[in-house]
Amino acid sequence: MSSYSECLQEWKSLETEYQQVQETHRLYKEKLEEVSRLQEACSVSIARQRKKLKEISHLLTKGVNSDDAGDIDKIQALIKERSNVFFEMEAFLPKKNGLCLSLVLGNVNVTLLNKQAKFAYKDEYETFKLCFTILILLFAFTCCFIVSNRIVDAILNFLLVWYYCILTVRESVLISNGSKIKGWWVFHHYISAFLSGVILTWPDGNLYQVFRKQFLAYSLYQSFVQLLQYYYQNGCLYRLRSLGKRHTMDLTVEGFQSWMWRGLGFLLPFLFFGHFWQLYNGLSLFRMALLPECTDWQVVVCGSTFLVLFSGNFLTTIAVVHHKFQTKNQAKMKK
Amino acid sequence: MSLQRCQAEWEEIDQEYRQLQETHKVYRHKLDELTNLQTLCSNSVSKQRKSLRDLNYNLLRCLKTSDPKESEQIKAIQTQIKEKQHVFFDMEAYLPKKNGLYLNLVLGNVNVTLLSNQAKFAYKDEYEKFKLYMTIILLLGAISSRFILNYRVTDEIFNFLLVWYYCTLTIRESILINNGSRIKGWWVSHHYVSTFLSGVMLTWPDGVVYQMFRNQFLDFSIYQSFVQFLQYYYQSGCLYRLRALGERNQLDLTVEGFQSWMWRGLTFLLPFLFFGHFWQLYNAVSLFELASHKDCKEWQVLMLALTFLVLFLGNFLTTLKVVHQKFQKNKGKLGKKE
Repeated sequence: MSSYSECLQEWKSLETEYQQVQETHRLYKEKLEEVSRLQEACSVSIARQRKKLKEISHLLTKGVNSDDAGDIDKIQALIKERSNVFFEMEAFLPKKNGLCLSLVLGNVNVTLLNKQAKFAYKDEYETFKLCFTILILLFAFTCCFIVSNRIVDAILNFLLVWYYCILTVRESVLISNGSKIKGWWVFHHYISAFLSGVILTWPDGNLYQVFRKQFLAYSLYQSFVQLLQYYYQNGCLYRLRSLGKRHTMDLTVEGFQSWMWRGLGFLLPFLFFGHFWQLYNGLSLFRMALLPECTDWQVVVCGSTFLVLFSGNFLTTIAVVHHKFQTKNQAKMKK
Repeated sequence: MSLQRCQAEWEEIDQEYRQLQETHKVYRHKLDELTNLQTLCSNSVSKQRKSLRDLNYNLLRCLKTSDPKESEQIKAIQTQIKEKQHVFFDMEAYLPKKNGLYLNLVLGNVNVTLLSNQAKFAYKDEYEKFKLYMTIILLLGAISSRFILNYRVTDEIFNFLLVWYYCTLTIRESILINNGSRIKGWWVSHHYVSTFLSGVMLTWPDGVVYQMFRNQFLDFSIYQSFVQFLQYYYQSGCLYRLRALGERNQLDLTVEGFQSWMWRGLTFLLPFLFFGHFWQLYNAVSLFELASHKDCKEWQVLMLALTFLVLFLGNFLTTLKVVHQKFQKNKGKLGKKE
C-alpha cells in the first residue's frame, strides 16, 4: 500500500528517467538520419560502379588483340570478384522489393541489417517448413484413412495453397537478404500453389473420388520425403557451414543439390520415386480425361501441371547427377 | 589501345571502390550503434510504461483516501501520465517492434516498421492506390463474368482474385497497424470474413443451385466494387483536406464503412452504404431459401448464408453506431444551447 508521498517520490524519479528517455530517443533519431544518409551514399556508389564495370567489361570483349589476353582475363576476373563484393554489401543495404513482394507487401523494406538477424530469419523459415510439413502429413493421413469428407479435403487443399503462397513470400524475403536459391526450386512453389488451387475447385463426383485416394497417398509420401529432406539437409548444412564450405544463407530445398553428395546420396532414390509418382499422377489424369463422362476441366489442367512438376523436378535433379559424373570423369582423366 | 583505356577507367573506379569500402565500413559500424540504441530505447520505453501504469494504479487507490487538494494534484499527475503514454506510442512508431501473430505467420520475424514519417506516409499512399486499382480490376472482372463470359472457370478466377485481394489487404493492414495506424476492429476483421466468403464460393461446384445464385452474387459484386470505388475516391479527397487542416492523423486510412470524420461532406455516401448492407442481408435470406430447396445438397449454401448474415450485422451495426453517436452529439449541442 503506497502512501501519497511515496507516489509523489516515485513520480519525481520517473520524471528524471523520462527526460533521459527523451534524450536517448532524440540521439536515436539523429543516428537514424545519419545511417539513412550513409545507406543512400553506399547504394548510389554501388549502382554507379556497377554501371562502369559493365562498360569496361563490354569494352574488353570488343576489339582487343590476343597479346593482351592475359591482362584481359585478369581484369575480367577482378570485375567478377568486385560484383560479388557488391552483392555481399547489398545484402546489408535496403533495396526495392521484387514484383512478388511489392504486390503483396508494398514498399516496406525487408532487408535484415545484420548477420544474426538474417540467420535467425533463415532458421525460422526452416522451422516453419518443418512444422507445416508435419501438419500437412497428419492432415493428409487423416483424409486418406480416417475421414472421407469433401469439406475436410477442401480444408487440406486450402492449407496447401496457403502454405505454398507463404513459402514464396518468405523465400522472396530471403532472396532479398542474400540467399541464392536456384530458380526452379522457387518457381515450383508457385506451380504447387496453382495445382492445389485447381484441386480445390474440383467438384465432388465419381472422377474426383477415383483420383482422391491416389492424390492423398501421393501427398502423404511427398510430405514424408520432404520431412526426411529437411531433417538430413539441416544437419548436413550445419556441418558444412562449420567447415566453412557453405554460405550461411543456404537453404534446405525439395530437391537434390550438389553439396548433398556428401552423405545424403541415399535420399536420391526417394526423390526419383516421388518424381515418377508425379508422372504417374499426370498420366492417370490424362487417361481420366479421355473418358466419356469426364466433364471437369480440372482433370486436364491438373494432369498438365503434374507433368510440368515432373519435368522440372526430374530434369533439375538429373542435371545435378550428370554434373557429378562429369566432375568424376574429369578427375579420373586427370589421373 | 582499348586495353589501355580500360586500365585507365579501372584505376578511376578503383579509387571510388576504396572510398566505398571505407564508407561501407563506417556504415556497418554506425548500424551496430543504431541497433544498440534501438534496443536501449525500446527497453527504457517499456520500463517507463510499466512503472507509469503501476503508479497510476497506486494513485487511484490514494484518491479514495485523500483530501480535495491532494485529489486535484493526483488528477493533474494522472493527466500527465496519459500524455506521456501518447508520447511513448509515437516514439514506438520509430522503433522496430515484434510482429503480431498474423504477420509472424506470413512473413516471419522480419521487421516491418518504417522508420521515417515520409516512408510511413508513402506506404499508406501506396496501400490506397493498391485498393483503388484492385477495386477497378474487380469491377471489370465482375462485369465480364456477369455479362460476357458465362463459365465456371472464369468465375473461379474471379473468386481466386477476391481471395488474394482480401488476403493481401489483411497483410498490408497488419503492417500499417504495426506502423501506428489506428484502424478500427471491424474494418480489419471484415476483410478476414470476406476472404472466407470468397474461399467458400470458390469451392461451390457448378450446378442448378449455383446457377440460381450466380447472377445475384455478381450483381452484388459489381455494386459493391462501385461503392468502394466511390468511397476511396471521396474519402481520399476528404482525408487530404482534413490532414491539411491538421484535424486527422497522417496514417488515417480509407475504409469500406462510414467514419465519424466523414460527416463533413461525405454524408451522401450513407444511403449507398446502407443499400449495400441490405443487399448483403438479401443475399443471406436468398441463400437460406435456397438451402431449403429440394435440389440443394451443397454445404456451401448454408455456410455462405451465415457468412453474409455476419457481414450484414457487422457492417450495419458499426455504421449505425456512427450515426447514433452523431445524433447524440447533436442532441448534446442542442441541450447546451437551451
